[in-house]
Amino acid sequence: MRIRITALFMSLLFVFAAGCGQITTDTEDDWLEKAALNVDISEEELYKAALKEDVLIVYTVSTRTVQTKEAFEKAYPGLVVEIRDLRSPDLVDKVAENFAEGRTSCDVVICNDNSGEFKSRLVDTGAVVPYLSPEIKTKMKDGHVGECISFLDEAELLFYNSRLFETQPISNIWELTESRFSGMIYIPNPLRSFSTYAFIAATFDHADELEEAYKSWCGCDFDRKDGTAPEALWKEISKNAVFTNSSDEVMEALNTDKAMLGIMISSKLRYKNMGYGFEPAYRLTPFTGCRTTVSVMLARNSQNVNSAKLFIDFLLGGADGTGDGYKPFRTPGAWSARTDVGDGTDTPLSEIDLLYPNADSMIARKDEFYKFWSECLKDQTNR
Amino acid sequence: MKRYVAIVLILLAFVIQTGCMDRSQPSALRVALPYSDHVLDTKTNYYIEYLENKTGLEIETVIVRQDDGEEYLDALFASDSDIDIVFFGEDFVIDEETAKNYADKGYVHTAEDGTFWYPNYGSRTTGDCGQILWINYEWLERLGLSIPTTTSELREVLFAFKNNDPNGNGLNDEIALIGSTEDYCYDPAELLLNSYVYNDPYNNRLFYGGSGALRLSTEAAAFREGMVFLRGLYKDGLLDTRTFSYSLNEMNEVINANIDIVGAFTTDFISNVIYQANPEVLARYIHVAPLAGPEGVRYSMYREGKPMVGAVINARSAHISDAERLIAAMLSEEASLIARYGEPGVDWERSDGSDVSIYGTISTIVTKNYIWNTPQNKHLNGIGPMYVPDVYLKGVTWNGLNSDAEYVDARAQVGYSDHLPERRYQGTFDAETASYTDRYIYSFITGERDVFDDNEWGTLVQSVSERTVR
Repeated sequence: MRIRITALFMSLLFVFAAGCGQITTDTEDDWLEKAALNVDISEEELYKAALKEDVLIVYTVSTRTVQTKEAFEKAYPGLVVEIRDLRSPDLVDKVAENFAEGRTSCDVVICNDNSGEFKSRLVDTGAVVPYLSPEIKTKMKDGHVGECISFLDEAELLFYNSRLFETQPISNIWELTESRFSGMIYIPNPLRSFSTYAFIAATFDHADELEEAYKSWCGCDFDRKDGTAPEALWKEISKNAVFTNSSDEVMEALNTDKAMLGIMISSKLRYKNMGYGFEPAYRLTPFTGCRTTVSVMLARNSQNVNSAKLFIDFLLGGADGTGDGYKPFRTPGAWSARTDVGDGTDTPLSEIDLLYPNADSMIARKDEFYKFWSECLKDQTNR
Repeated sequence: MKRYVAIVLILLAFVIQTGCMDRSQPSALRVALPYSDHVLDTKTNYYIEYLENKTGLEIETVIVRQDDGEEYLDALFASDSDIDIVFFGEDFVIDEETAKNYADKGYVHTAEDGTFWYPNYGSRTTGDCGQILWINYEWLERLGLSIPTTTSELREVLFAFKNNDPNGNGLNDEIALIGSTEDYCYDPAELLLNSYVYNDPYNNRLFYGGSGALRLSTEAAAFREGMVFLRGLYKDGLLDTRTFSYSLNEMNEVINANIDIVGAFTTDFISNVIYQANPEVLARYIHVAPLAGPEGVRYSMYREGKPMVGAVINARSAHISDAERLIAAMLSEEASLIARYGEPGVDWERSDGSDVSIYGTISTIVTKNYIWNTPQNKHLNGIGPMYVPDVYLKGVTWNGLNSDAEYVDARAQVGYSDHLPERRYQGTFDAETASYTDRYIYSFITGERDVFDDNEWGTLVQSVSERTVR
């Protein structure tokens, strides 16, 4: 009880401090202290304190957050949430720039955290910090609570047009380089899509498997004289590919028969139930995609910490996971981060040929990848 | 009467304003332009300063705080105000016909080459497809329905929208499909007829048939089948009665309302319907690919992007040649790109070809700071004359904001472009015949006339045929 009273006192202190204007960078530690991120505060107390705060600003990469916002505002009358729905690189740019300039533009950040950019520019710099109520923390799957709170698993993977193909048309990733797919493979621009970037970059740590797959496809050994297997693979796929701005465009191209194959985020599977004509290729030699995770974090220097905490707990479905905040994310193409909440997808992640990207490796090799991909894209667009 | 009262009030405002003016700088060009929430201060605006440096002219801006361009011009020409140029944009607009009326009366300057208005091309989203169907995605999801692909599927979906309480408020308040007759693009009937026969009301419903001969949509048997389908929708309350009485603003108010009550509507660009600061409502709707009719027909309506009136020069101006020089500078590619995208190198740069545009083509412009429709001071947010070539308008990169209407529109345009007719007829719009035909169409849909009555139908076909110049 004493802890709760102290926490409430600290929350109120925070509200008063927030009311007095911008917290400067000199008092960042004060902010952390006042934010009381590791203190157990009841939902009722958070709500009470949140009612004294301003509009909660959420930067997100998922349109589904709008449904969470609507449910949140219903569950907590008097609280207002503003959603800014951004593409991952733009979200990271905005949060990083604002943080560097000592400004706070948002309170909660929901972002794909696989490319290394999120980690290196927001997590490692302290621009965002993890928060989750202690009760929910105990119900999270391994690896989902640490320097990031990963609240959802997804996958960036290959899909095929189910109107044009009754069954999966390829079984080996090297088949994507065949001329029969020229102009018929849609891929989000990896320099603009974190999850696509993560998949492609992750393949560079698996050159041996790609060489084996090459032998199985071609019947001959891979010749390294012109570069590594991943380099050769993606250079050749680029020649067949049409690059897009987002997975939405890939999905629409598959649905309108402009594309035979496409690489996109698995959450688009929810549109399959609405009649879109595509299917996931879960099995592919040596891999069909990569696991991606989506993080929810509290923005450092947020002026609405109590509202932000309440929103993050709500997003995770509350203490028992059954709340309306998590429901929009429990859709086909998504896998739960909680042990007590089932996946939105029938097929478990373990039954999909996925890579698990290494963020540190991607951060270290970032310049190399960007240079490689810029050249691939220029080659493609100059044809 | 209201109009005259408004003009008198504006005249008074002019007199007061003129009286307060500093007349010590008669050489300055006085430019009237509408107030915009998206332009912070025209006195320190980057684009205005650029134009002054480029032309050597001094520009004095006068902010107009009213929406009706025609009322403003009436007041201007009735006063002795020394405004040299009037810029149009955002909601403050006039059409070419109106500009011509003022030019004919001698109020608006007509140049030696006959030009009496100056174009604004690029401030609005561009695209070849004139009408897109948008449907409430959240309702589909809640009711477990698929996105319709045919007219009969659409009917089933609309029926479920109307009867199964998709907004979950327990009230029978859902509007399955709504429109407005303010422009053809907002009228769902026009879109649905394209699932039966190519139907282009902007070009007098004429099109090239399979043999290459010019044909009239209303003469096709399929057109009548389409009308029967529409009559059925209307009769069953699936096509809302307000469609034939609502203005665009009234339709928009219903669609943008906090309560979620609209299932589907049509528009050319969604930015013309969903309010800018309403991303939640925008997220609610997705575009539906052209629907196949009973015979598999599925056309998109072509619409040529035309410039709007960007400016007129006051015929009384003492600085006509300076005004023409300023406008000529504004219509250059360099100035137009600033007018659209902001400061070169800071807000945008030319693409090195490694980016994808919103239309899926190789990008030409990379936006670094996306400032369009935001409070900024780099340009006039599309107010005034400009001419941005399509290679830039369609070659611009996405700003990464999922609720960016320009990107949402571009994706819909790409989806519809495959269904445009191969050969397109472009004629001069015959407003009189159009109005006559439209009245007939509405009366068949609403049941005022019987679409099954061969005599009634024959009269429509014959009379429209006789009136239409081919």
